Parts: sequence; structure tokens; C-alpha cells
Amino acid sequence: MAELALENITYVYGERTPFEIKALDDVSLTVREGSVTGIIGHTGSGKSTLVQLLNGLERPTSGRVLLDGKDIWEKPKEIKKIRFRVGLVMQYPEYQLFEETIRADIAFGPKNMGLSEEEINHRVKEATEFVGLDPILLDKSPFDLSGGQKRRAAIAGVMAMRPEILVLDEPAAGLDPRGRDIILKGIRDYGKKTGSTVIIVSHSMEDMATYCDDIIVMSHGKVYLSGTRDEVFAHAGKLTEVGLDVPQITRLALLLEERGIPLPHGIYTVDAALDALRSLFR
Amino acid sequence: MAEILIHAKELWCSYEEDDRRVPVLRGISLDIARGEYVAILGHNGSGKSTFAKLLNGILEPEAGELVVAGTNLASPDLTDDDIYALRREVGMVFQNPDNQLVATIVEEDVAFGPENLGVPSAEIRRRVDDALATVGMSDYAGHEPHRLSGGQKQRVAIAGLIAMMPSCMIFDESTAMLDPAGRREVIETFEKLNREQGITVLTITHYMNEAARADRVIVIDDGKILADGTPHEIFADPGRLIAAGLDVPQCTSLIHALRAEGVALEGEPITPEECADLLCRALEGKKHG
Repeated sequence: MAELALENITYVYGERTPFEIKALDDVSLTVREGSVTGIIGHTGSGKSTLVQLLNGLERPTSGRVLLDGKDIWEKPKEIKKIRFRVGLVMQYPEYQLFEETIRADIAFGPKNMGLSEEEINHRVKEATEFVGLDPILLDKSPFDLSGGQKRRAAIAGVMAMRPEILVLDEPAAGLDPRGRDIILKGIRDYGKKTGSTVIIVSHSMEDMATYCDDIIVMSHGKVYLSGTRDEVFAHAGKLTEVGLDVPQITRLALLLEERGIPLPHGIYTVDAALDALRSLFR
Repeated sequence: MAEILIHAKELWCSYEEDDRRVPVLRGISLDIARGEYVAILGHNGSGKSTFAKLLNGILEPEAGELVVAGTNLASPDLTDDDIYALRREVGMVFQNPDNQLVATIVEEDVAFGPENLGVPSAEIRRRVDDALATVGMSDYAGHEPHRLSGGQKQRVAIAGLIAMMPSCMIFDESTAMLDPAGRREVIETFEKLNREQGITVLTITHYMNEAARADRVIVIDDGKILADGTPHEIFADPGRLIAAGLDVPQCTSLIHALRAEGVALEGEPITPEECADLLCRALEGKKHG
């Protein structure tokens, strides 16, 4: 369990060159301990830069990344230790599998942590279950797996280190609807069963609405909106203003409201819409 | 009936694994006419990308008939020249915006195709300018591709195909790596090409809302065609799609759930606008009824 916070973070690419870009501009935020938090924003909003700061892959130009109140850059030589506590799954992680078997790949992280053989085996089994990977595949080569299976194996490899904070950049990109649901559900289960905090970066408002407790909306290097899912989706109009999509069902609710049909605010799942309409048809 | 551009009959294709042949396509039969706008749906591994790769000769059919723009791809006499000629007719845009551009300047990238065809330089200039204007990227002609957004890169890739003047364009999950704004840019670009230039568009996607915009939806499951019809016909049967690892638009799910609870609703709306119309009519009718 750990609390993660950003304090006045600014990050500048290409400082003092003609291509200088301020990717993050005085960002402060706290991620609730044990929550599943979604980060959303269009290309160039700064969200990918933000996740690379969380485990010390990048160092902020100014400001502090606080893990349990301590600056992760306090002792720069020990930054690697932070990466065991904050696990980062990059976009398309299936291209990063490199071992001869899936089992060895998932075990790579725990092995580096110096865990016992028994504990490593336990971790591999547990992570395999979280991502819904068939154990039969563990002894196969990554080359024998489909793209979706490799994605799950790569995510399991980070889960096996049991990070207190698991950060995933677009974990469901390119997957079909069933594959997407399996992965996102597994990620949420990981957070809820281990008590870890999970941070998911996504373009899909529908996925955010289904799997996240809290949502942070980034725009032009700043936090544009943040709060619980209900609070953020209550501002559907503000989301469309910055070029983000709201779930299709939220668009429907807004259209019905315009036509004078009384509906509660913040409808963003099919179930919520069903509840609201059921009473009108009664 | 318009001229048939793609004709497939009992089309089979397999790949090899440990000296075994694993069939991916197991008897696909369909015809696509010139000028159609078709979405192809299917879960990962269903065979939909394999089908697309057969259409411009990246893969070879194992059995069955396949004729694309007059080229018989199942013919034993097929030459490399035939395939190169076909690829001018049938262009393909892939998923990753970062590995389809080859030049260091946008307009040089767009010129790459026609240059290789030996098109005279004045004609290349004209085609490049037209293609960039069509995708709305004229202002970026002198830019470096790696500084563009994902949606812009995909539009440059599309311009590179337009400069070859194809009659058909295939989008193999070309929007999967883009944000909502980039996705919209790409979709609006190919819809415009379809509408204004009559280019046949095949889009392979996992986004149900994207498929709902096409004139025709083909669902591939387990290497076979599971369904083929208008979006309204296809999304009228959510159970069938969910069983195939797919989904339906949220509005469609809502209408089916209400109907399952006994609310009388007629029609198969798939967009929020259609769905709002239907619900308003039904609530109005209830008030008066």
C-alpha cells in the first residue's frame, strides 16, 4: 500500500532548443490509495509523459513525485528500487517479451528481486490467474502465442513483481471487445485483491466508465478535471469541449435531456440508463 | 448491380505451425461491388486480417476463387508483375502509424509510390498536391513525418496511396492506435474518398461504433462468414455478436434490454440520435395511450 502524489510537476522536452515543448505544466494531484484511477486525454495532452514520471523513468524538470510522502528522486542512485514498487506496463508490451518461455518471462521480474524459487512460482501462478492466461501456455515460446495472449503475459510479468502501484499505458489498445474486457477486469481484480493502486491510461471513455473508481482528465499539460467517476462524468459537456468522447450512452442521455425527458445526471453505463428509463416506462 | 470489384468463392487459407497446416479461412464466399463502404468485424484471430492480406497479394489463397479488380489471385499463372499491378488498384493502410512512412519529408513520402511507378515528375507534383489536399495535410507538405500526430501520420499514409490512384482502399485496424480525435480524422478522410471519388473502402475494426457507419457489415468468425448485412441488420442480433467475442453499440444494448423487460419498442437504432427518436416516440405514445 502506498500513496502517490505529484507536487507542482513541470516537464519540458528539448529545453533551450527551437523544439522546446512544455509537456506538463505545474501539475499537482493525488492518487487515492487502493483506487483504480483512469487517466484520459488526447494525444499530446501530457498523459504518457506523466506515467513515465511515476516510476522514475523520466525525471521532472521541476516539482516532486511523492511516494508515501517521500520524493522518489531523493537518492537518485536508488531509483531502481522505486521500479519494484511502481510497476509500469508500456503500450504494446507484447513486443518486449524476450525469454524462451512465457513462464521465464513472467518470472524475470520476481527473479531480479531476489525472491525464493517457491515464491517466484507462486507469483507466476497468481499473475497468470489475474490476466486469465491458460497455464498450458506457460511452457510455450512467445512466438506460439496470439497477440492478445502475449499482451496478457507481458502484463502478468509486471504483476508478478506485485508492485504497490501498477501503471498501465493503453493496456487494451487493439484488442477485440472480449479480450479488452478480460484484461481490464483482470487488472481491476489485481488492484482490489492485493490492495494495490492501479493507474490506467486509456482513450476509451466507455472503458473508464466501466472499470475505474476515479478519473483524471489531462489537457494541454494540465489537469483539466479530476474526481470520482460520477463527478467527472457529470461534466460531460466539458469533456466534449476538449475533444474527448463521452460514452455513446451519455450522448443519448444528453439528447433525451435536450428533448425535455427528465433523467438523472451522470449516466455513463447501459445499466444506469436502463434504470432511469425503466421508471419512465412504468 | 454495380461492377464486382472483389469476388471470393469457397476461399481457404492456412498457415503452417510445427509442420501442421492450421486453416485460418475456411470457405469464404462474398462479392463486393465497386464503390461500396464495408466494415469487417471479427475477434482477434478470426481471420479478418488474413482475408484483407489476400486481397492485395500479401498472402496466397490455398483453395477457392479470388478475383480482385480483374486479377485472378488463385491462378497458377499469376506473376509478380500481376501482383504489383494489383497493389496500385488496392492500397492498404495498417495499424501502426509509425512504421508506414519511409521518407523524411511528408511530400516526399507521398511521392514515393508514383516515383516507383515511373510517373513523369510534373504529374507526380500534381498527384502529390491533390492527395495532400484531399486528406487535409497540404500545410504539412514540408514537415518531418515523425513530428506529426498519429492521426496526421495515418492521413499522410492515406495520401501516399491516393497518389497511386487506387480503386479500393483497405484499412486494417488503422484507427486502433489513435486517440478519439485522430480516429475521427481518419474515418472522415476515408468516408470522403468513398463518397466523392467512389473509392471502395474496406475497414477492419474492433470499434462497433465505427462499423455502424458503414453501408455494409461483414462478420467473420472462426474463418467463416457469420453474418453479412446492413449495420441495422447485423446489430439487431446482439447475442450472435457477443458469442463471436464482439459487442454491439451501447444504444443497441439499451434498446434490447428495455425490450427484454417488456417495453414495446420497434426498430433497431444504432446511433444515439436514432435511439433518442425511438425513445421519445415511445414515451410520447405512452402519454397519449
